[in-house]
Amino acid sequence: MTDLPAKDLSEPDIRPAPSRLRASFARDRKAQVGLVILLAFLLVALLAPLIAPFDPNAMTLDMMSSPSLTHPLGTDDLGRDLLSRIIWGTQISLFVGVSTVALALILGVTLGVVAGYYGGWADMIIMRYIDLQWAFPNFIIAIYLVAVFGTGLLNVIVAIALAFLDDFARVARSMVLTLKEEQFVDAARVQGFSDLRIMFRHILPNALAPIIVQATVSVSYAILGEASLSFLGLGVRPDTPTWGLILADGRSFISQAWWLGVFPGLAIMLVVLAINFVGDALRDALDVRETGP
Amino acid sequence: MGSYILRRLVGSALVMLAVAALVFFMIRLVPGDPVAAMLADAGSEEAREALTRKLGLDQPLVVQFWKWFTGLLQGDLGVSIFGNNQPVSTILLEALPRTMSLAFLSFVIALVIAIPAGILSATRRNTATDATVSLFAFLGLSMPDFWLAILLIIVFAANLQWLPAIGYVPLSEGLWPWLSHLILPSIAIGTGFSAIIARMIRSSMLEVLRADYMRTAASKGLPMRVQMLRHAFPNALIPVVTVIGIAFALLISGAVVVENVFAIKGLGRVLIQGIQNRDYPVVQGAVLVVSAFFVLSNLVVDLLYAVIDPRIRYS
Amino acid sequence: MTDKDLIKRAEAELREAHDYDPRDPLFGLTRDELRGDRLSRRATLRLLAAGGALGLAQVLPGLRPQSAMAQGKMGGELKCAWAGVGEIVTLDPAQIGQVLQFQITSNIYSGLMHIDNNLVAQGDLAESWEISEDGLEYTFKLREGVTFHNGDPFDAEDVLFTFNRSRDPEQSVHSRVIANVAELEKLNDYEVRFTLKQPQASFLTKSLERASGRAMTIVSRGGLESLGTAQYGLTPIGTGPYKVVEHQLGQGVVLEKFAEYYDPDRPKLDRITITPVDGVEPLAAALEAGDIHYVGGNPFPTQLIERMQANPDLVVDIKPGPGFQSIWINPWHEAMRVTDFDKPLEELKKEKGFMVRLAIAKALDRELFIKQGLFGYGVAAHGTINPAMGFFFDETLADSSEQAFDPEGAKALMAEAGYPGGAGFPELTLQTTPNTKRAGQVVANILRQVLGITVTVDPKDFSIGIEEFNKMEIDLRLGGSGGDYDPDDGLVDWMQTTSKFNGPDRDKAAKSFGFFSEAEADRLIDAQSVAVDPNARRELVRQANAISSDKVACAFLYHPVDVLVHNASVEVPEEARIPGLHELDRISLK
Repeated sequence: MTDLPAKDLSEPDIRPAPSRLRASFARDRKAQVGLVILLAFLLVALLAPLIAPFDPNAMTLDMMSSPSLTHPLGTDDLGRDLLSRIIWGTQISLFVGVSTVALALILGVTLGVVAGYYGGWADMIIMRYIDLQWAFPNFIIAIYLVAVFGTGLLNVIVAIALAFLDDFARVARSMVLTLKEEQFVDAARVQGFSDLRIMFRHILPNALAPIIVQATVSVSYAILGEASLSFLGLGVRPDTPTWGLILADGRSFISQAWWLGVFPGLAIMLVVLAINFVGDALRDALDVRETGP
Repeated sequence: MGSYILRRLVGSALVMLAVAALVFFMIRLVPGDPVAAMLADAGSEEAREALTRKLGLDQPLVVQFWKWFTGLLQGDLGVSIFGNNQPVSTILLEALPRTMSLAFLSFVIALVIAIPAGILSATRRNTATDATVSLFAFLGLSMPDFWLAILLIIVFAANLQWLPAIGYVPLSEGLWPWLSHLILPSIAIGTGFSAIIARMIRSSMLEVLRADYMRTAASKGLPMRVQMLRHAFPNALIPVVTVIGIAFALLISGAVVVENVFAIKGLGRVLIQGIQNRDYPVVQGAVLVVSAFFVLSNLVVDLLYAVIDPRIRYS
Repeated sequence: MTDKDLIKRAEAELREAHDYDPRDPLFGLTRDELRGDRLSRRATLRLLAAGGALGLAQVLPGLRPQSAMAQGKMGGELKCAWAGVGEIVTLDPAQIGQVLQFQITSNIYSGLMHIDNNLVAQGDLAESWEISEDGLEYTFKLREGVTFHNGDPFDAEDVLFTFNRSRDPEQSVHSRVIANVAELEKLNDYEVRFTLKQPQASFLTKSLERASGRAMTIVSRGGLESLGTAQYGLTPIGTGPYKVVEHQLGQGVVLEKFAEYYDPDRPKLDRITITPVDGVEPLAAALEAGDIHYVGGNPFPTQLIERMQANPDLVVDIKPGPGFQSIWINPWHEAMRVTDFDKPLEELKKEKGFMVRLAIAKALDRELFIKQGLFGYGVAAHGTINPAMGFFFDETLADSSEQAFDPEGAKALMAEAGYPGGAGFPELTLQTTPNTKRAGQVVANILRQVLGITVTVDPKDFSIGIEEFNKMEIDLRLGGSGGDYDPDDGLVDWMQTTSKFNGPDRDKAAKSFGFFSEAEADRLIDAQSVAVDPNARRELVRQANAISSDKVACAFLYHPVDVLVHNASVEVPEEARIPGLHELDRISLK
C-alpha cells in the first residue's frame, strides 16, 4: 500500500474524496445492498427496547417451541424468545464490533504514526513489539488475552482490540513513512508547527484511506472474533445475549430445535456480509490495494 | 540475498525467543490454581503441597523460567500438570498430525473450490457467472466457521448420518475412516479460505491477462483453454503464494474453534483444554508451537516470494 | 418419566432399601462371612443389633446376594461412549480425580475389596479377612494364582508396594485415604495385616475399595518400572478383568479381555472401546446410529432422555443418584452475614443476614427448577442425604424443613430484612462451572422472579471456581457432591465445622468458619459416624440433616438421577448396576 498516489497539498483534505465515494457507491449494487443491510441492523440495534417482543432473558416453561406467530423464530432451551434475543444481540454485536475497532484504531494508529514519524529508537521498540505480535495469529492472541484477563464484555473488547492493534500500526506507519517526505510536511515544519500537530493534523488525514478500509473490514473480524470467543466459552457473561453465545448455548439442542442453530448464525453472516460488501466498495473507491485479512 | 536470508533467520529466532518469554510470563498472570484443578475433590492439604513442590510452582518465577527455557532448548516442553504427567511434547506431537491433517485437507478443499471458481470468474469477467462466483465468495467469507460446522453436523451427521459428527481416526486405520472424520471440519474451515483464494486468483488472473506474453499467446492462435491453463493460470498463482502465510493463521484460528466443535484433539483443542485446566506447560507449549509454525510459514513465504518474484530486491 | 414418577420410584426403592452404610460396623462384613465360621463375637453382636435391616435385605428379591453370574453370552465387542469429556486424562489410580476415570479403572485393576450393587463390600483380591476385637487389626488372606496383565504373579509384596506408593503424597494424591493406617505387615506371601491408628468402620468400603478408594487399587511394580509413570497412566497394568491394549488421549481407550482373570465366568466381552464424547448432539447421533452401545462417564444429558426412551433400540434405566447440589451462600457477605449459627433458630431468625439466607432457600422453586433446568429429571433436595442412600433418606424433610418452598414467606423475610421486593438489595454473583451454567441461569431467574433480586451467573472453570470457594471469596455458588453412598459423604464431608470443603483456604483470622458451623450438628455428625445401631444412626443422621437444613447451611436444590443408556442388544444384569460405576466385566451382548 505504498503506491497510493502522492498528493501535493499544503493543507490536507480531511475527508477522502467524498464525491468519488458517492459516485462509486451509486454504481456498486453490492455496496448499496451492504449499506441497506447495515442500516437495517443499526436500526434494530438502536430500537431494540422498542421492537423486541419479549424480554430477552425472560424464561418460560414454553421451552424449545418451534417458530410460530407468538415466537417468530421459536424459543430456546430455557423458553426465551429467540427473536428478542437476536434483536438484543444485534445491539451488543455491533457495539463490540465498533468499540473494538475504535480502540484498536486509536492505539494502533498512534503507535504507527509515532514509529513512522520519529523513526530511530521509537520505531525500533514499537516495531519489535509489532513483530512480536505478528508472530501469533490474531485470534490466538485474543484467546490468550481473554484467558489472562478473564471473560466478560469489556475484557473481550480489549482482548480483540489488542489482537488487531498491529494491523493498524503497520498501515499507519507505512503511510507516515511515505508521507513524511512530502512537501507539505516540510512546509509545516518550516512554519514551526509542533510534531504533534504535524503528525495528527497534517500527515494522518492524508493516510486515512487505507486506515478506513482496514477499520471497516476489522469491524467484521471483531464481530466474528467475539462470536468465536463466546462460542468457545471464553466470551461474554451468560446473561449477555450475543449471537455467538446464543449459538453456543443452542448447540446442545440443535437436533430438537434447528432454529437455535440457524438464526443466530444467519444474523452474524448477514452483518459480516454487509460489511464486506461496503468494505470492498470503499477499497475500490479509495483505490487501496487489497491486502487480505 | 544470502545476507537477507541470514538476517531473516536470526530475526525469526529472536522473535521466537521473545515469544517464549512472553508466553511464559503472561500465563502466570492467569488466575486459577492448577493444583486445585488437578486434585478436584480428592485434594488433601498434604497432597496439595506435595504437588506444588513437585511441579516447582513454589519456586521463584525466574527460576521456573530458567528451568523451562533450558529444557525448551533441549526439546523438553515440561510435563502436563493436569492428569498423569504426560510430557507436553508427547501431547503436542499427538495433536500435531490431527491439526496438520485438518489443515492439509482444508487447504485442498479450499483450492478445489477456489481454482475453478477464480479462473471461471476471471475469464468470464462481468458476466452472471462472475457475479455468482463473487456472491458465493462473499458468503463464504462472511460465514463463521463454527456456524458452518454446526450446519454441517445438523445435515450430514445428525439427519443424513452419512459422516461421523465428531472424533478423529489416524490415517493408519485406513483412508476412509481418516477422511470421513475430517471431511466436515475441513469443509467448515476451508470454505472461508477458498473465498479468499478465489478472489485472489481472479484479480491476479485479470492482471496477467493484460500482460504482453498473453497477447503473444493469443496472437499465436493458441486455443483459449491452453492460453488460460498453460500461461495465465500459473502466472496468476504467484501472488497467491503471499496469502499462504495468512492461510496458516486462518487455518489455525479456524482449527481452534472447529476442532472444539468436532472434538478433534488437535493443537486448538489442546490449547482450549489447557486454558480450561490452567495447565501452564500445555498452554505454553501449544501457543509456542502455533507461533513457531506461524513465524516459520511467514519466513518461508517471504523467502519463496523473493525467489519467485525477481522484481523484489533485498539489500 | 416425570419427577412425580421418579419420587414414587425413589419411595419404592426406599421401601426395599436396607442399610448399606459403609461406616456402619456391620457393613464391612460380606454375606459369605455372615454365614461363615470366622465371624467374630463382636460382629455377631452387631449382627443381632442390626438384625432388622439386614433381615429385610436377605428376604427381598433383588437384594439377595447374586449367586448366578453364569448367564450372559461370552464374546463380542462393546462400543462405549464416555459422556461429557474430551479425554480420559489418566488411568493411574494415584492420580485419578474424577469419577469417570475410576469408572474405567475399576475394570482394569483389582482392589482388596469391591462394593456390589447393594453397596456392600465383597472380597476382590481378598479371599477372606478377620477383624480384631478392638477393630484395629485387619488380617487378609489373599487370593492365590492371580497374575498381572504382564504375567507377573500377584502376592503380598504388591499390596505393600501399592501401600507405600499411595501413602507418599509426592506419588499419590490419595495419601489421606490411608492416613489412618499405622502399619501394614506382610505375614507371608498371601497374608497381610493392616493396623489402624483408630477404629474406622469405613475401612473396607472406603479405604480398600478398588474403584472409588484409589489408594489400595493394586498397581503393578513391574509395569510402573518398565513403562514409567506417564505411560503407565495411559496403558496401566493391573490384575483386573480387562487389559488396556491402546490409549490415545482424546481418542479413547481400547480394552481386551484378560484371559487369565481369576474368575473364569468373567469378563464376558472380548473387546471394549471407550471413546470420550464431548457434546450432546454427537452423543445422541452416535447412540441412534448404533455406533455406540453403552454410555458411561459424566451424567447423561437430561434433555436427551425422552428422545432416547422413545427409541425402541435403546434402553434407558433411571435410578436415584448418589449426590446433592446446592446454592452455597457466603455468610461473610455483608447482606447475608451470619457469624454465629450456635443459637436457637428463633434467635437466628431475628438477624437480617439470616433472614436473607432463609429467604433465598425458601424462594427456590425446586419443582420449577427441575422442570426447566433438568427437563424433569431430578429430585428436590432439602439436605445432603440423598434418596440413593435409601434407608437414611428422610422424605419428610421436604415438608418439615424451614427451606420448604414458600414464596410468600420468602418475600416477607426479604421485606423484614429491609429489602421489600428486593429493593436496595445488592447484586449477587452466582458462580457455576461452564457445565452448570444453564442450571445457574434457571436459579437466577427464580430468585429474580420471587425475591426481585438480581443474580448474575458467572461460569468459571472448575479450577478457578473451587479456589474461590475454598477461600470463601464468593457470593453464591452452585455446587455439591456426587458419589455419596454413605451419610458421612454428605455430612462429614460438608456439614461440619471441620469439613474438608468448609472454606479450607479462607482467611482464618477474619472468618472463623467457611460457609457453616453449628456445634450441635458437629456433635450429632460425630456421633452418627460411630453409632453401632443402624436405627439409632438413622435418627442421628436425621437430626443433623434437619439442623443443617433449618439453619440454612446452604440452600439445597436437587438430587441428581443416575441414568444408564445403552443399546437393547446389551445385557446389563442387576449386579452390574452399581450407581456411579460400570461393571463392564458383568455386561454381555445378546
